[in-house]
Amino acid sequence: MVKKKEEENSFEYSYRRIGEIVDELESSIEEKSLEEIISAYQEGLTLLKICREKLEEAELKIEKINSQF
Amino acid sequence: MEEIFSNDIPLTVSELTREIKISLESQFTPIAVTGEISSFKRAYPSGHCYFSLKDANAQISCNLWKTRYQHLKFEPKEGMTVIVRGRISVYEPRGSYAIDVASMSEAGIGDFQIAYQKLKARLFAEGLFNESNKKPLPEFPVNIAIITSESGAVIEDFKRVAENRYPLFTLYLFPVTVQGKGSAESVCRAIASANKYKVKFDIIILARGGGSPEDLWTFNEESVARAIFASEIPIVSAIGHEIDYPISDFVADMRAPTPSAAAEMILPDRNELLESLKQSKAVIRNSVTGIIQEYKEFLNNTEKNYVFKRPKDMMNEFKLRLDEKYEKLGREVSDRIKKLKEGLEYTGSILEKIGPDATLRRGYTI
Repeated sequence: MVKKKEEENSFEYSYRRIGEIVDELESSIEEKSLEEIISAYQEGLTLLKICREKLEEAELKIEKINSQF
Repeated sequence: MEEIFSNDIPLTVSELTREIKISLESQFTPIAVTGEISSFKRAYPSGHCYFSLKDANAQISCNLWKTRYQHLKFEPKEGMTVIVRGRISVYEPRGSYAIDVASMSEAGIGDFQIAYQKLKARLFAEGLFNESNKKPLPEFPVNIAIITSESGAVIEDFKRVAENRYPLFTLYLFPVTVQGKGSAESVCRAIASANKYKVKFDIIILARGGGSPEDLWTFNEESVARAIFASEIPIVSAIGHEIDYPISDFVADMRAPTPSAAAEMILPDRNELLESLKQSKAVIRNSVTGIIQEYKEFLNNTEKNYVFKRPKDMMNEFKLRLDEKYEKLGREVSDRIKKLKEGLEYTGSILEKIGPDATLRRGYTI
Protein backbone atom coordinates (compact mmCIF):
# COMPACT_ATOMS: atom_id res chain seq x y z
CA MET A 1 0.00 0.00 0.00
CA VAL A 2 2.83 2.36 0.92
CA LYS A 3 4.62 1.29 -2.23
CA LYS A 4 1.59 2.09 -4.35
CA LYS A 5 1.23 5.49 -2.75
CA GLU A 6 4.88 6.18 -3.48
CA GLU A 7 4.41 5.25 -7.11
CA GLU A 8 1.43 7.54 -7.42
CA ASN A 9 3.49 10.40 -6.06
CA SER A 10 6.20 9.87 -8.64
CA PHE A 11 6.72 12.11 -11.62
CA GLU A 12 6.58 9.10 -13.89
CA TYR A 13 3.12 8.06 -12.65
CA SER A 14 1.62 11.53 -13.16
CA TYR A 15 3.34 12.00 -16.51
CA ARG A 16 2.12 8.65 -17.87
CA ARG A 17 -1.41 9.18 -16.51
CA ILE A 18 -1.57 12.52 -18.39
CA GLY A 19 -0.62 10.64 -21.54
CA GLU A 20 -3.45 8.16 -20.94
CA ILE A 21 -5.97 10.94 -20.37
CA VAL A 22 -4.88 12.68 -23.56
CA ASP A 23 -5.23 9.40 -25.49
CA GLU A 24 -8.68 8.75 -24.05
CA LEU A 25 -9.89 12.24 -24.81
CA GLU A 26 -8.48 12.12 -28.32
CA SER A 27 -9.68 8.68 -29.31
CA SER A 28 -12.94 7.88 -27.57
CA ILE A 29 -14.50 11.09 -26.30
CA GLU A 30 -17.81 10.25 -28.06
CA GLU A 31 -18.22 7.13 -25.97
CA LYS A 32 -17.92 9.00 -22.70
CA SER A 33 -20.53 10.70 -20.61
CA LEU A 34 -20.14 14.37 -19.82
CA GLU A 35 -19.39 13.47 -16.19
CA GLU A 36 -16.55 11.15 -17.25
CA ILE A 37 -15.11 13.78 -19.53
CA ILE A 38 -15.18 16.46 -16.88
CA SER A 39 -13.59 14.20 -14.29
CA ALA A 40 -10.81 13.30 -16.80
CA TYR A 41 -10.35 17.00 -17.47
CA GLN A 42 -10.04 17.82 -13.79
CA GLU A 43 -7.65 14.94 -13.12
CA GLY A 44 -5.57 15.97 -16.14
CA LEU A 45 -5.23 19.57 -15.01
CA THR A 46 -4.33 18.55 -11.45
CA LEU A 47 -1.62 16.17 -12.68
CA LEU A 48 -0.30 18.75 -15.13
CA LYS A 49 0.16 21.17 -12.27
CA ILE A 50 1.94 18.54 -10.14
CA CYS A 51 4.31 17.61 -12.99
CA ARG A 52 5.14 21.20 -13.83
CA GLU A 53 5.87 22.07 -10.23
CA LYS A 54 8.06 19.00 -9.84
CA LEU A 55 10.08 19.85 -12.92
CA GLU A 56 10.45 23.49 -12.01
CA GLU A 57 11.19 23.13 -8.34
CA ALA A 58 13.18 19.90 -8.11
CA GLU A 59 16.73 19.93 -6.80
CA LEU A 60 19.19 17.13 -7.29
CA LYS A 61 19.80 15.12 -4.11
CA ILE A 62 23.22 13.60 -3.61
CA GLU A 63 24.30 10.98 -1.10
CA LYS A 64 27.80 9.71 -0.64
CA ILE A 65 28.12 6.05 0.22
CA ASN A 66 30.60 5.26 2.97
CA SER A 67 33.70 3.86 1.29
CA GLN A 68 33.54 0.83 3.62
CA PHE A 69 31.09 -0.87 1.25
CA MET B 1 84.15 14.51 -14.29
CA GLU B 2 85.81 13.32 -11.11
CA GLU B 3 87.10 16.71 -10.12
CA ILE B 4 83.72 18.39 -10.68
CA PHE B 5 81.90 16.11 -8.22
CA SER B 6 84.61 16.21 -5.60
CA ASN B 7 84.93 19.97 -5.68
CA ASP B 8 83.83 21.64 -2.47
CA ILE B 9 82.57 24.73 -4.24
CA PRO B 10 78.95 23.98 -5.13
CA LEU B 11 77.83 24.04 -8.74
CA THR B 12 74.97 26.14 -9.91
CA VAL B 13 71.93 24.23 -11.24
CA SER B 14 72.80 25.48 -14.70
CA GLU B 15 76.33 24.22 -14.50
CA LEU B 16 75.25 20.77 -13.34
CA THR B 17 72.53 20.52 -15.96
CA ARG B 18 75.01 21.59 -18.58
CA GLU B 19 77.35 18.76 -17.54
CA ILE B 20 74.51 16.22 -17.57
CA LYS B 21 73.46 17.44 -21.00
CA ILE B 22 76.95 17.05 -22.41
CA SER B 23 77.40 13.67 -20.80
CA LEU B 24 74.04 12.18 -21.88
CA GLU B 25 73.96 13.65 -25.32
CA SER B 26 77.46 12.48 -26.19
CA GLN B 27 77.01 9.01 -24.77
CA PHE B 28 73.60 8.12 -26.26
CA THR B 29 73.86 9.08 -29.90
CA PRO B 30 72.76 7.73 -32.18
CA ILE B 31 70.40 5.17 -30.61
CA ALA B 32 67.63 2.81 -31.76
CA VAL B 33 65.01 1.86 -29.18
CA THR B 34 61.81 -0.16 -29.33
CA GLY B 35 58.70 0.38 -27.23
CA GLU B 36 54.99 1.07 -27.26
CA ILE B 37 53.60 4.51 -28.16
CA SER B 38 51.63 6.09 -25.34
CA SER B 39 49.97 9.47 -24.77
CA PHE B 40 50.55 10.51 -28.36
CA LYS B 41 49.82 14.22 -28.84
CA ARG B 42 50.14 16.47 -31.83
CA ALA B 43 50.50 20.09 -30.78
CA TYR B 44 48.71 22.82 -32.70
CA PRO B 45 49.60 25.01 -34.45
CA SER B 46 53.24 23.94 -34.37
CA GLY B 47 52.54 20.43 -35.71
CA HIS B 48 55.22 18.89 -33.49
CA CYS B 49 54.39 15.56 -31.87
CA TYR B 50 55.06 14.42 -28.32
CA PHE B 51 54.64 10.93 -26.93
CA SER B 52 56.09 8.38 -24.56
CA LEU B 53 57.76 5.17 -25.51
CA LYS B 54 57.16 2.50 -22.93
CA ASP B 55 57.36 -1.11 -21.95
CA ALA B 56 56.24 -2.90 -18.80
CA ASN B 57 58.68 -1.18 -16.44
CA ALA B 58 59.85 2.12 -17.86
CA GLN B 59 59.01 4.96 -20.15
CA ILE B 60 60.81 7.72 -21.96
CA SER B 61 59.55 10.93 -23.57
CA CYS B 62 59.97 11.42 -27.30
CA ASN B 63 59.89 14.57 -29.40
CA LEU B 64 58.96 14.19 -33.02
CA TRP B 65 59.37 17.46 -34.89
CA LYS B 66 56.92 18.41 -37.59
CA THR B 67 59.34 17.98 -40.52
CA ARG B 68 60.24 14.46 -39.40
CA TYR B 69 56.62 13.58 -38.68
CA GLN B 70 55.85 14.47 -42.28
CA HIS B 71 58.37 11.90 -43.48
CA LEU B 72 56.85 9.00 -41.55
CA LYS B 73 55.46 6.16 -43.68
CA PHE B 74 52.66 5.42 -41.16
CA GLU B 75 50.33 7.24 -38.77
CA PRO B 76 51.57 6.73 -35.19
CA LYS B 77 48.80 5.47 -32.90
CA GLU B 78 48.38 4.65 -29.24
CA GLY B 79 49.62 1.20 -28.33
CA MET B 80 51.69 0.69 -31.46
CA THR B 81 55.08 -0.86 -30.94
CA VAL B 82 57.67 1.11 -32.89
CA ILE B 83 61.39 1.35 -33.37
CA VAL B 84 62.62 4.87 -32.82
CA ARG B 85 65.98 6.14 -34.05
CA GLY B 86 67.47 9.36 -32.79
CA ARG B 87 69.52 10.80 -30.01
CA ILE B 88 68.99 11.77 -26.39
CA SER B 89 68.50 15.43 -25.82
CA VAL B 90 68.35 17.25 -22.50
CA TYR B 91 66.10 20.26 -22.16
CA GLU B 92 67.83 22.42 -19.61
CA PRO B 93 65.01 24.79 -18.57
CA ARG B 94 63.04 21.80 -17.31
CA GLY B 95 65.86 19.45 -16.54
CA SER B 96 64.15 16.79 -18.62
CA TYR B 97 65.50 14.41 -21.17
CA ALA B 98 63.85 12.93 -24.23
CA ILE B 99 64.57 11.13 -27.43
CA ASP B 100 64.86 13.51 -30.32
CA VAL B 101 63.30 11.27 -32.98
CA ALA B 102 65.07 11.20 -36.33
CA SER B 103 63.06 8.35 -37.81
CA MET B 104 60.52 5.81 -36.67
CA SER B 105 59.23 2.51 -38.03
CA GLU B 106 56.40 0.18 -37.09
CA ALA B 107 57.23 -2.98 -35.18
CA GLY B 108 53.78 -4.52 -34.87
CA ILE B 109 51.01 -4.07 -32.31
CA GLY B 110 51.96 -3.39 -28.70
CA ASP B 111 51.48 -5.78 -25.78
CA PHE B 112 48.65 -3.73 -24.30
CA GLN B 113 46.85 -3.80 -27.63
CA ILE B 114 47.36 -7.54 -27.93
CA ALA B 115 46.02 -8.16 -24.43
CA TYR B 116 43.02 -5.92 -25.16
CA GLN B 117 42.24 -7.62 -28.49
CA LYS B 118 42.59 -11.10 -27.00
CA LEU B 119 40.33 -10.41 -24.04
CA LYS B 120 37.79 -8.69 -26.25
CA ALA B 121 37.67 -11.67 -28.62
CA ARG B 122 37.35 -14.13 -25.74
CA LEU B 123 34.57 -12.27 -23.93
CA PHE B 124 32.75 -11.74 -27.21
CA ALA B 125 32.88 -15.48 -27.93
CA GLU B 126 31.55 -16.16 -24.44
CA GLY B 127 28.54 -13.95 -25.14
CA LEU B 128 29.29 -11.14 -22.70
CA PHE B 129 28.60 -8.51 -25.36
CA ASN B 130 25.35 -10.07 -26.64
CA GLU B 131 22.59 -7.59 -27.37
CA SER B 132 20.09 -10.06 -25.90
CA ASN B 133 21.74 -9.67 -22.49
CA LYS B 134 21.43 -5.88 -22.48
CA LYS B 135 18.95 -4.56 -19.97
CA PRO B 136 16.69 -1.65 -20.91
CA LEU B 137 17.15 1.64 -19.04
CA PRO B 138 14.18 3.26 -17.31
CA GLU B 139 12.86 6.47 -18.82
CA PHE B 140 12.46 8.28 -15.50
CA PRO B 141 15.17 7.07 -13.08
CA VAL B 142 14.56 7.81 -9.40
CA ASN B 143 17.73 6.41 -7.81
CA ILE B 144 21.04 6.40 -9.67
CA ALA B 145 24.36 5.03 -8.42
CA ILE B 146 27.56 6.48 -9.81
CA ILE B 147 30.82 4.61 -9.34
CA THR B 148 33.69 7.00 -9.85
CA SER B 149 36.46 8.93 -8.19
CA GLU B 150 35.13 11.31 -5.60
CA SER B 151 37.77 13.93 -6.31
CA GLY B 152 37.77 14.09 -10.11
CA ALA B 153 35.94 16.49 -12.40
CA VAL B 154 33.63 13.65 -13.45
CA ILE B 155 31.24 13.88 -10.53
CA GLU B 156 31.02 17.68 -10.84
CA ASP B 157 30.37 17.47 -14.60
CA PHE B 158 27.71 14.86 -14.08
CA LYS B 159 26.00 16.89 -11.36
CA ARG B 160 26.00 20.02 -13.51
CA VAL B 161 24.35 18.30 -16.48
CA ALA B 162 21.86 16.49 -14.24
CA GLU B 163 20.84 19.68 -12.45
CA ASN B 164 20.11 21.42 -15.74
CA ARG B 165 18.44 18.49 -17.35
CA TYR B 166 16.39 16.49 -14.85
CA PRO B 167 17.11 16.99 -11.12
CA LEU B 168 14.29 14.65 -10.08
CA PHE B 169 16.41 11.81 -8.77
CA THR B 170 18.82 10.95 -5.98
CA LEU B 171 22.43 10.37 -6.95
CA TYR B 172 24.39 7.93 -4.78
CA LEU B 173 28.13 8.27 -5.11
CA PHE B 174 30.20 5.13 -4.62
CA PRO B 175 33.73 6.53 -4.38
CA VAL B 176 36.43 4.29 -5.90
CA THR B 177 40.01 4.48 -7.11
CA VAL B 178 39.78 4.58 -10.86
CA GLN B 179 43.38 3.82 -11.78
CA GLY B 180 46.40 1.98 -10.56
CA LYS B 181 46.86 -0.91 -8.20
CA GLY B 182 43.69 -2.17 -6.57
CA SER B 183 41.40 -0.05 -8.73
CA ALA B 184 39.83 -3.02 -10.56
CA GLU B 185 39.01 -4.68 -7.21
CA SER B 186 37.60 -1.44 -5.89
CA VAL B 187 35.33 -1.04 -8.94
CA CYS B 188 34.17 -4.67 -8.75
CA ARG B 189 33.32 -4.29 -5.06
CA ALA B 190 31.36 -1.13 -5.74
CA ILE B 191 29.32 -2.83 -8.48
CA ALA B 192 28.50 -5.73 -6.14
CA SER B 193 27.58 -3.39 -3.24
CA ALA B 194 25.37 -1.23 -5.45
CA ASN B 195 23.47 -4.39 -6.40
CA LYS B 196 22.92 -5.28 -2.74
CA TYR B 197 22.28 -1.75 -1.45
CA LYS B 198 19.13 -1.01 0.58
CA VAL B 199 17.95 1.44 -2.07
CA LYS B 200 17.00 -0.19 -5.35
CA PHE B 201 18.96 1.60 -8.06
CA ASP B 202 17.50 2.13 -11.50
CA ILE B 203 20.88 2.61 -13.14
CA ILE B 204 24.56 2.24 -12.23
CA ILE B 205 26.98 4.56 -13.98
CA LEU B 206 30.62 3.58 -14.23
CA ALA B 207 32.50 6.79 -14.92
CA ARG B 208 36.04 8.00 -15.37
CA GLY B 209 37.45 11.07 -17.07
CA GLY B 210 39.95 11.08 -19.92
CA GLY B 211 43.45 9.65 -19.60
CA SER B 212 46.09 7.61 -21.35
CA PRO B 213 45.27 4.00 -22.29
CA GLU B 214 47.25 2.86 -19.24
CA ASP B 215 45.19 5.16 -17.00
CA LEU B 216 42.01 3.64 -18.38
CA TRP B 217 43.32 0.08 -18.12
CA THR B 218 41.16 -0.76 -15.10
CA PHE B 219 38.15 -0.77 -17.40
CA ASN B 220 39.85 -3.32 -19.66
CA GLU B 221 40.29 -5.76 -16.79
CA GLU B 222 38.49 -9.07 -17.09
CA SER B 223 37.31 -8.90 -13.46
CA VAL B 224 35.57 -5.57 -14.12
CA ALA B 225 33.98 -6.94 -17.30
CA ARG B 226 32.61 -9.93 -15.37
CA ALA B 227 31.33 -7.75 -12.51
CA ILE B 228 29.44 -5.61 -15.04
CA PHE B 229 28.01 -8.71 -16.69
CA ALA B 230 26.86 -10.09 -13.33
CA SER B 231 25.04 -6.88 -12.33
CA GLU B 232 21.25 -7.16 -12.03
CA ILE B 233 20.98 -3.41 -12.42
CA PRO B 234 21.61 -1.88 -15.86
CA ILE B 235 25.08 -0.37 -16.13
CA VAL B 236 26.21 2.55 -18.26
CA SER B 237 29.92 2.64 -19.08
CA ALA B 238 31.17 6.23 -19.42
CA ILE B 239 34.95 6.03 -19.60
CA GLY B 240 37.42 8.56 -21.02
CA HIS B 241 36.72 10.42 -24.24
CA GLU B 242 34.84 9.61 -27.45
CA ILE B 243 37.87 7.81 -28.88
CA ASP B 244 38.19 5.35 -25.99
CA TYR B 245 36.49 1.97 -26.22
CA PRO B 246 37.45 0.02 -23.10
CA ILE B 247 36.08 -3.52 -22.68
CA SER B 248 33.60 -2.17 -20.11
CA ASP B 249 31.85 -0.30 -22.96
CA PHE B 250 31.07 -3.57 -24.73
CA VAL B 251 29.79 -5.47 -21.68
CA ALA B 252 27.75 -2.62 -20.23
CA ASP B 253 24.09 -2.20 -21.10
CA MET B 254 24.87 1.18 -22.61
CA ARG B 255 28.05 2.95 -23.70
CA ALA B 256 28.34 6.70 -23.20
CA PRO B 257 31.24 8.45 -24.96
CA THR B 258 31.96 10.64 -21.90
CA PRO B 259 30.60 10.96 -18.33
CA SER B 260 28.64 14.15 -19.12
CA ALA B 261 27.24 12.49 -22.24
CA ALA B 262 26.03 9.70 -19.93
CA ALA B 263 23.92 12.23 -18.02
CA GLU B 264 22.44 13.46 -21.28
CA MET B 265 21.71 9.95 -22.51
CA ILE B 266 20.04 8.53 -19.43
CA LEU B 267 18.09 11.56 -18.21
CA PRO B 268 15.02 12.99 -19.90
CA ASP B 269 15.19 16.69 -20.79
CA ARG B 270 13.23 18.98 -18.49
CA ASN B 271 12.49 21.50 -21.25
CA GLU B 272 11.20 18.83 -23.60
CA LEU B 273 8.99 17.47 -20.83
CA LEU B 274 7.59 20.92 -20.06
CA GLU B 275 6.88 21.41 -23.77
CA SER B 276 5.11 18.06 -24.00
CA LEU B 277 3.06 18.90 -20.87
CA LYS B 278 2.04 22.16 -22.52
CA GLN B 279 0.79 20.27 -25.54
CA SER B 280 -1.08 17.76 -23.37
CA LYS B 281 -2.73 20.66 -21.58
CA ALA B 282 -3.86 22.14 -24.90
CA VAL B 283 -5.28 18.79 -26.02
CA ILE B 284 -7.13 18.26 -22.73
CA ARG B 285 -8.51 21.82 -22.75
CA ASN B 286 -9.54 21.77 -26.40
CA SER B 287 -11.22 18.41 -26.34
CA VAL B 288 -13.25 19.29 -23.27
CA THR B 289 -14.25 22.78 -24.38
CA GLY B 290 -15.03 21.22 -27.76
CA ILE B 291 -17.37 18.66 -26.29
CA ILE B 292 -19.05 21.25 -24.08
CA GLN B 293 -19.61 23.44 -27.13
CA GLU B 294 -21.15 20.45 -28.90
CA TYR B 295 -23.50 19.84 -25.98
CA LYS B 296 -24.51 23.51 -25.97
CA GLU B 297 -25.27 23.51 -29.67
CA PHE B 298 -27.25 20.33 -29.29
CA LEU B 299 -29.36 21.91 -26.55
CA ASN B 300 -29.92 25.07 -28.55
CA ASN B 301 -30.97 23.13 -31.60
CA THR B 302 -33.27 20.91 -29.60
CA GLU B 303 -34.96 23.93 -28.10
CA LYS B 304 -35.71 25.31 -31.53
CA ASN B 305 -37.00 21.96 -32.70
CA TYR B 306 -40.64 21.77 -34.05
CA VAL B 307 -41.64 19.25 -31.44
CA PHE B 308 -41.02 21.67 -28.62
CA LYS B 309 -42.98 24.45 -30.31
CA ARG B 310 -45.95 22.16 -31.05
CA PRO B 311 -48.04 22.83 -27.92
CA LYS B 312 -48.32 26.47 -28.79
CA ASP B 313 -49.18 25.67 -32.36
CA MET B 314 -51.86 23.29 -31.20
CA MET B 315 -53.36 25.93 -28.94
CA ASN B 316 -53.41 28.39 -31.76
CA GLU B 317 -55.16 25.87 -33.93
CA PHE B 318 -57.76 25.24 -31.27
CA LYS B 319 -58.33 28.92 -30.89
CA LEU B 320 -58.77 29.29 -34.58
CA ARG B 321 -61.20 26.45 -34.71
CA LEU B 322 -63.09 27.83 -31.73
CA ASP B 323 -63.38 31.18 -33.41
CA GLU B 324 -64.69 29.54 -36.53
CA LYS B 325 -67.29 27.58 -34.54
CA TYR B 326 -68.32 30.66 -32.65
CA GLU B 327 -68.83 32.57 -35.82
CA LYS B 328 -70.81 29.77 -37.41
CA LEU B 329 -72.95 29.46 -34.33
CA GLY B 330 -73.65 33.19 -34.38
CA ARG B 331 -74.60 33.08 -38.02
CA GLU B 332 -77.00 30.16 -37.50
CA VAL B 333 -78.72 31.76 -34.53
CA SER B 334 -79.33 35.03 -36.31
CA ASP B 335 -80.54 33.18 -39.41
CA ARG B 336 -83.07 31.35 -37.32
CA ILE B 337 -84.26 34.50 -35.67
CA LYS B 338 -84.53 36.17 -39.01
CA LYS B 339 -86.54 33.28 -40.41
CA LEU B 340 -88.86 33.25 -37.39
CA LYS B 341 -89.33 36.93 -37.72
CA GLU B 342 -90.14 36.64 -41.40
CA GLY B 343 -92.61 33.84 -40.69
CA LEU B 344 -94.29 35.86 -38.03
CA GLU B 345 -94.60 38.85 -40.26
CA TYR B 346 -96.18 36.83 -43.01
CA THR B 347 -98.77 35.23 -40.66
CA GLY B 348 -99.49 38.65 -39.32
CA SER B 349 -100.26 40.06 -42.75
CA ILE B 350 -102.60 37.20 -43.59
CA LEU B 351 -104.42 37.65 -40.34
CA GLU B 352 -104.67 41.26 -41.01
CA LYS B 353 -106.25 40.67 -44.42
CA ILE B 354 -108.84 38.29 -43.21
CA GLY B 355 -109.39 39.70 -39.74
CA PRO B 356 -112.60 41.70 -38.69
CA ASP B 357 -110.80 44.95 -38.84
CA ALA B 358 -110.13 44.67 -42.52
CA THR B 359 -113.70 43.52 -43.29
CA LEU B 360 -115.01 46.44 -41.45
CA ARG B 361 -112.77 48.71 -43.33
CA ARG B 362 -113.87 47.16 -46.68
CA GLY B 363 -117.48 47.85 -45.56
CA TYR B 364 -120.26 45.56 -45.27
CA THR B 365 -122.88 45.62 -47.97
CA ILE B 366 -126.03 44.02 -46.96
